[in-house]
Amino acid sequence: MDIDETKCVGCGNCHAICPMGAISLNVDGKSVVNQDECVECSTCYRVLRDEGYWAPLVGAVRKVLSFLNLQYVAPVDVCPTGALVPPELDYPRSLRAAFSDPTVVHAGTGVGGRGTEEIKTNDVTGRLGKGEAGIVVELGRPGIGTHFRDVEKIAMALIPLDPHFEPYNPVTQLMQDTKTGKMKEEVLDEKVLSAIIEVKTSLDKIPDYLSTLEAVQKENDAVFSVGVASKCLPDGSIPHERYVIEAGYTLSLNGKTNLGLGRPLFQEAD
Amino acid sequence: MTNTLHRLGTVENLKGDYVIFVSMARDINREGSAPKVHEFLRICNKYNPINTGSSKLGSVLQDDVEFPDLIANLKDGSTSAAVFTELDTLQKVLAELVEADLGISINISGLLDGVQECCHQNGIERHSVEHSLGFWGSRDRLPERDVLELNTLCGHGMVSFNLIQKMMEHVRMRKLTPKEAAKIMGKCCECAVFNTTRAERLLEKVLET
Repeated sequence: MDIDETKCVGCGNCHAICPMGAISLNVDGKSVVNQDECVECSTCYRVLRDEGYWAPLVGAVRKVLSFLNLQYVAPVDVCPTGALVPPELDYPRSLRAAFSDPTVVHAGTGVGGRGTEEIKTNDVTGRLGKGEAGIVVELGRPGIGTHFRDVEKIAMALIPLDPHFEPYNPVTQLMQDTKTGKMKEEVLDEKVLSAIIEVKTSLDKIPDYLSTLEAVQKENDAVFSVGVASKCLPDGSIPHERYVIEAGYTLSLNGKTNLGLGRPLFQEAD
Repeated sequence: MTNTLHRLGTVENLKGDYVIFVSMARDINREGSAPKVHEFLRICNKYNPINTGSSKLGSVLQDDVEFPDLIANLKDGSTSAAVFTELDTLQKVLAELVEADLGISINISGLLDGVQECCHQNGIERHSVEHSLGFWGSRDRLPERDVLELNTLCGHGMVSFNLIQKMMEHVRMRKLTPKEAAKIMGKCCECAVFNTTRAERLLEKVLET
């Protein structure tokens, strides 16, 4: 995101809205974006309504109010002068928007948000079948953000388990080599709000994945969220539960349920 | 996309937090899906969801989004959602959706037992389930639980920790009501999965401290 210095009146509303805390005031009292930290999510641009005021007028009014020991406090969800300017993004910086702005669709998967359908369409794709588990590791979540160099560290740590990285996942598509988990060199320094490593494995390997993640979490300062999924048995029971519990982990009481209403329903071969 | 998977909460407040949403798969049922998504949102809207919208078009909490425009502008593959606070209402919504037989994938995020009950009441069995195993890594970088509960109400994490703390402060100072503060936070959530009622309840706690 860019901020038009000639328009900004330094109200600071964009500072709190920014999910990465990447905006601050400079010595001239104007808001500036730390471009290394900005993930191009455009939350500030979308949420802060442009009030359309003329910046010199706002400045003059504030000076008068200040002289009278009064203060004008703008509503928290406006940019009084419309100073926020979404820039044109070139690759690889464009990846920031693709992973961080839910309105942008990933070119490689045709899916917005984090760019993968995972179990949400499992009823029609058969992505996870009998005896299989899906493991999702979402780096940067909640609210911290991640660089692809941290994504790479986790992906590479999983390699001894011979993972099947989901091909219709944008993180997989940024890998130089799925046999090593190495990401493309040019993306490593890009920061995004979050990115999902998505692996398909057999149910009995769930404990191995969890213990590997347990070990790798101590080796860097990344924050990540972990999810485990599987296709239910005909009676509705959840195959992965037993493996997670036996490995010593606690399952959430809430979760995501695919109701199986998609058509054509994927038919698994016996 | 695991956008509603990691909603943090107690059993008590998760009882008032169900997100129902549709997804379409490329090369399978995405093409020609716009009228089905339209019907999905129309059915949900009959039951007064506290939030609804579509990830490419925004949520009804946003200043420039009205429900009729929203459904008029849906495109094939528009992932769309609605949030309900009562299981009974969700059950009725699901009954209509089963009857409508839209043929697109429908998911519900919420307490798994409650969702399972809804499925059984409507004569269907769940297909797949995903659990959260929580937050890992440098958890010391995360703020306190109340802030995380609010932050995770938006799956993509668009409601910043700083905004949440600012809204808590504004509520504490009586500059905003919990309802007003919850709506401002909800505007950040592009996919319309932010539960403003839960947010309001959490912000009301600020007034008690």
